Amino acid sequence: MKKTIIDAHNVSKTYNEKMIPVKALQDVHLHIEEGEFVALVGPSGSGKSTLLNMIGGLDEPSSGTVFVDGVEITKLPENKLIDFRLENIGFVFQSFNLIPVLTSKENIGFVLQLQKVPKKDREKRVLELLQEVGLAEKINSRPGELSGGQQQRVAVARALASKPKIILADEPTANLDSKSAANLLDIMAKLNKEEKITFLFSTHDQRVIEKARRVITLVDGKVDSDIVQTPT
Amino acid sequence: MLVQIAWRNIWRNKTRSFVVIGSIVIGLWASIFILAFAWGLYKNNIDESVNRQLSHIQIHHPEFTHQQESKFVIEHSDSILSLLQKDDRVQAASARTITKGMITSPTTATGVTVYGISPAAEEKQIGLNENLIEGDYFESGKSNEIFIGEKLAKKLKIKLRSKVVVTFTDIESNMVSAAFRVGGIYRSRNLSLDEVNVYVQKQSLDNLLGLKPSESNELAILLKNESALDSFNSDVQLMVPHKKVEDWMDLSPELELVIESFHLYTYIITGIILLALTFGIVNTMLMSVLERIRELGMLMAIGLNKKKIFTMIMLETLFLTLIGCPVGLLVGWLSVLVLGSIGINIAIFSEGLASYGFSSIIYPALDSQNYWTVAIMCLITALLSAIYPAFRALQLNPAESIRKI
Ligand SMILES: Nc1ncnc2c1ncn2[C@@H]1O[C@H](COP(=O)(O)OP(=O)(O)OP(=O)(O)O)[C@@H](O)[C@H]1O
Ligand SMILES: [Mg+2]
Repeated sequence: MKKTIIDAHNVSKTYNEKMIPVKALQDVHLHIEEGEFVALVGPSGSGKSTLLNMIGGLDEPSSGTVFVDGVEITKLPENKLIDFRLENIGFVFQSFNLIPVLTSKENIGFVLQLQKVPKKDREKRVLELLQEVGLAEKINSRPGELSGGQQQRVAVARALASKPKIILADEPTANLDSKSAANLLDIMAKLNKEEKITFLFSTHDQRVIEKARRVITLVDGKVDSDIVQTPT
Repeated sequence: MLVQIAWRNIWRNKTRSFVVIGSIVIGLWASIFILAFAWGLYKNNIDESVNRQLSHIQIHHPEFTHQQESKFVIEHSDSILSLLQKDDRVQAASARTITKGMITSPTTATGVTVYGISPAAEEKQIGLNENLIEGDYFESGKSNEIFIGEKLAKKLKIKLRSKVVVTFTDIESNMVSAAFRVGGIYRSRNLSLDEVNVYVQKQSLDNLLGLKPSESNELAILLKNESALDSFNSDVQLMVPHKKVEDWMDLSPELELVIESFHLYTYIITGIILLALTFGIVNTMLMSVLERIRELGMLMAIGLNKKKIFTMIMLETLFLTLIGCPVGLLVGWLSVLVLGSIGINIAIFSEGLASYGFSSIIYPALDSQNYWTVAIMCLITALLSAIYPAFRALQLNPAESIRKI
């Protein structure tokens, strides 16, 4: 039997911007099992980023509960939540993923250090991770010296570093050309298959959507459709 | 690692960092310089008072300090004096006879303090010879010469060679009057004393008062080096156990007060400059935090807790101030060192200043205590200005931060 990794119940989020309430999410139910490779799609403003933030514990829902790997993260206090994130969730954003003043190696090593991995093991793991995303030769480059696609690949490697159960990616390919986007998706798919890491990513890109095995569509803060497909 | 990130972060915007460091350096330099200049002025004044009026140490009969009556004498002061003069810490020592009296001119009369002095010995101390604006310094050898201040001469409406009568009581409490002729008129740096201090030969005053030549009311000692003051003071105390030995700070509590108030000024001036600096630093660092909202959001998302974010921003500000402070202190110290040996000529203003007892060349100087004060206050500034930007970074919400471009 497959294990449930993400379980969201009745999640709603209302923003009170300038006194006008914006219902970004309305009673969203979401159930994702370990090892799934899920795309979150929908028009701009439909609530994709909001939902990812709720699942990742970056923001609190106005109502509803979110369980990640059996832990009710909506109930965790701030400091516990940060540790939980560090151990269990990897993030990849559209941009600004890396610490600009650190090299690829240091960016990845930093997360390991936060997890108190000993220095010796750190070096080894960093190299492994960079090899997995095909950037071993860029180990000492700073983000500014890498292309957008390379930066996103380092970001994926960094997200993997803490051996998280899930990786949440908010439009990871939005700033990439189609070749780099496809490359990034292939790496993500490979990691999903080989390391059994659950991926949940939002995207607008049709070619990216095609690589997913399950596509959840949000419209106006509600789940509009939830389709299982065969990736191309 | 946080230290490393913070250190590298400050070099991302080199111009900005150098502006912050530069303003700290200039701020510190300015405060040190202002303080050193002010202290130079004060010191000038203090040295003047010590050298010309107070001396480093004075010895009196214990009763004399209270009653100021000439009958309270130091016996054998001539032999004490010659002992003192043999001490190699001593630059000059002299004995004085002092009495309160009344000086009368053909038109008016006023109270004065009459000093009986040994002209040769006092050249190095009271320095009346240098301050004479009219007449010659005890050159005639006549025993009835009196030297009065310019202000007193005006008040009494008398001139050089005028005759005055001085009245006082001798040690047997008899009224004594004696006629003197003005041998010289002086102007010292302390105009208020010029109005009350008059000088005659010690011998003549001793005769009039009925004192023996070996007796006197005051022994004044000027040291070669002020650092020997305390040890010398206690040695003298042993030498004349029944007399009152006082150093210049005991003699002139107001001078000590001046020095204390100077330390207060140190805090105030440095405080004001550093406060202005704090605003500048806080502003700049805040800008650098707000510019990096997205990045800070990302750091929170990947697992940096608030304590770490706070530490990182604190470190960035601290690094900048900790570079700026030593450099500022060094630059300040060097310029005080250089200008302190060359001196700054303030001749343009010195007319006015001279009347307050200042000389026209100022040697900026600052003792180590004041440097420490400035350094410690600089550290406090560093901490204070680091806290606010770091605190603001804490209030960021990761999700919102990431949304912002
Ligand atoms: N912090 C916020 N304050 C106020 N309103 C917000 C905030 N975050 C999101 N919203 C609003 O919530 C709604 C959903 O936004 P969200 O960013 O989740 O959409 P999205 O699906 O990610 O869109 P896009 O495809 O453009 O990224 C939008 O109407 C947005 O304006
Ligand atoms: Mg979005």
